[in-house]
Amino acid sequence: MAKKPKIAILWLSACAGCDEAIVDLNESLLKTLEPVDIVLWPVAMDYKYSHIHALNDKEILLSVISGAIRNSEQEELAHLLAKKSKMIFAFGTCACYGGSAGLANFCSKEEIMNWVYKDAPTVVNPSGQIPQPKTRINENIELTLPEFYEQVYALDQIIDVDFYLPGCPPPPDLIINAVQHFLSGDLPPKGSKLASRTALCEVCPRNHTKPPRLEIKEIKRVHEYEADPDRCFLAQGILCLGPMTRSGCGETCISVNTPCRGCFGPLPGVLDAGAKGISMLACILKAGQSRNPKKLMNSLVDPAGYFYRFTQPVSILNQKWRRSND
Amino acid sequence: MSAYQPKIVCFSCNFGWGYLSNKSELMQKIQNWIPITCTAKIDPLFIFQAFAKGADGVLILACPETQCHYEDGEFRTEKMVLLLQNVIEAFGIQRERVQIMFARDPEGHDISNLVERMRNKINALGPLPKDIKGKGEYTYGQKA
Ligand code: SF4
Ligand code: SF4
Repeated sequence: MAKKPKIAILWLSACAGCDEAIVDLNESLLKTLEPVDIVLWPVAMDYKYSHIHALNDKEILLSVISGAIRNSEQEELAHLLAKKSKMIFAFGTCACYGGSAGLANFCSKEEIMNWVYKDAPTVVNPSGQIPQPKTRINENIELTLPEFYEQVYALDQIIDVDFYLPGCPPPPDLIINAVQHFLSGDLPPKGSKLASRTALCEVCPRNHTKPPRLEIKEIKRVHEYEADPDRCFLAQGILCLGPMTRSGCGETCISVNTPCRGCFGPLPGVLDAGAKGISMLACILKAGQSRNPKKLMNSLVDPAGYFYRFTQPVSILNQKWRRSND
Repeated sequence: MSAYQPKIVCFSCNFGWGYLSNKSELMQKIQNWIPITCTAKIDPLFIFQAFAKGADGVLILACPETQCHYEDGEFRTEKMVLLLQNVIEAFGIQRERVQIMFARDPEGHDISNLVERMRNKINALGPLPKDIKGKGEYTYGQKA
């Protein structure tokens, strides 16, 4: 009997929602995964990293990796799978763009450590201890912990990625579609995102209620205002990232009367979600006759967090650390 | 310490600024001057890329209120700048590093002075932090 292709499924800095999305395939999961051998899936199976080390290089057909990278253990595992796999699949928005975990990049490591281990009101830490990568217990024993990095990285900032599937988490139809592509060998070009190339607005059931010229005079926030369940959010003055977000999510947020937050990431060709968001909103925010736009522009609470909710690590300004010393 | 010379990128609208000047001569004099047909054409991306490529400040010279060739381009740009200033602050970049001015200067006599004035202001702020908010140079992996 021909050997089944090997697949690894791994979470890094993830919430497990992406793993859950795979489990949620239910019966079709069994069918989908029937033709493969799973060699690693921490959320569902017992395994040892030594088993992976023991494999030949490129012996794994496909590694499905969810989550961003924040510490040295995650980076080490990503490199290990890159070495052992023919293809790397960045699964879910955290792996593709850094995801919501990437918002932590708006704080420094020091600020995070101080808050979590010292300053948060629920913390009791009289000696002010902060976890260290190495702690000497006695002459013979030194304990180690993975190193917490200065920032969160998207997967392709650490290893080469062959395919991407955004989504927080990716929806079942796109997961099954991706698996079928991998198993049949009928693959799009390397670097492809295995998702739609159109904006969410194009498939949104509320799109026909959008006026030809959008103008927002006052930003309304979802928790302050009861949204009309059938009208375009932007037409109601509630911010929605549908115009600049890739579709494919199944309009799940829209269908529960919640505006799009952009989890599928920006459209193809967009280099920076924030830049797109700024141009989009600067156009439609209408600042009255007085021509004093300051108040309206400042009424957008936490604009950086809003525009980069899922993509901070891959934003241009965050990547300034790559800048050479010229 | 005076070795630090802030790099300023200056965008100006072709309808209000320097259209009667000898542009190529003026360009020799003013480094990183980018005349553009309507400042509303400036994508926020251009400003981010300017910072990423080493600019310390971005100056936008737009037309005076109500004098935009396209009705309200200068106003759209102003709104964009206000939003963008709020965004860059979250990345540890002071809002003063992006400035917009509304005036007209067909001969382009003032452009180099305005750039110089901006340079002095940015000089007082110091260089743009290379490692924003203490993010160190990335060394552990091979991919950086
Ligand atoms: S993409 Fe969403 S569901 Fe997946 S790990 Fe990240 S936060 Fe969780
Ligand atoms: S802006 Fe939002 S609510 Fe309006 S059509 Fe687009 S996705 Fe739908």
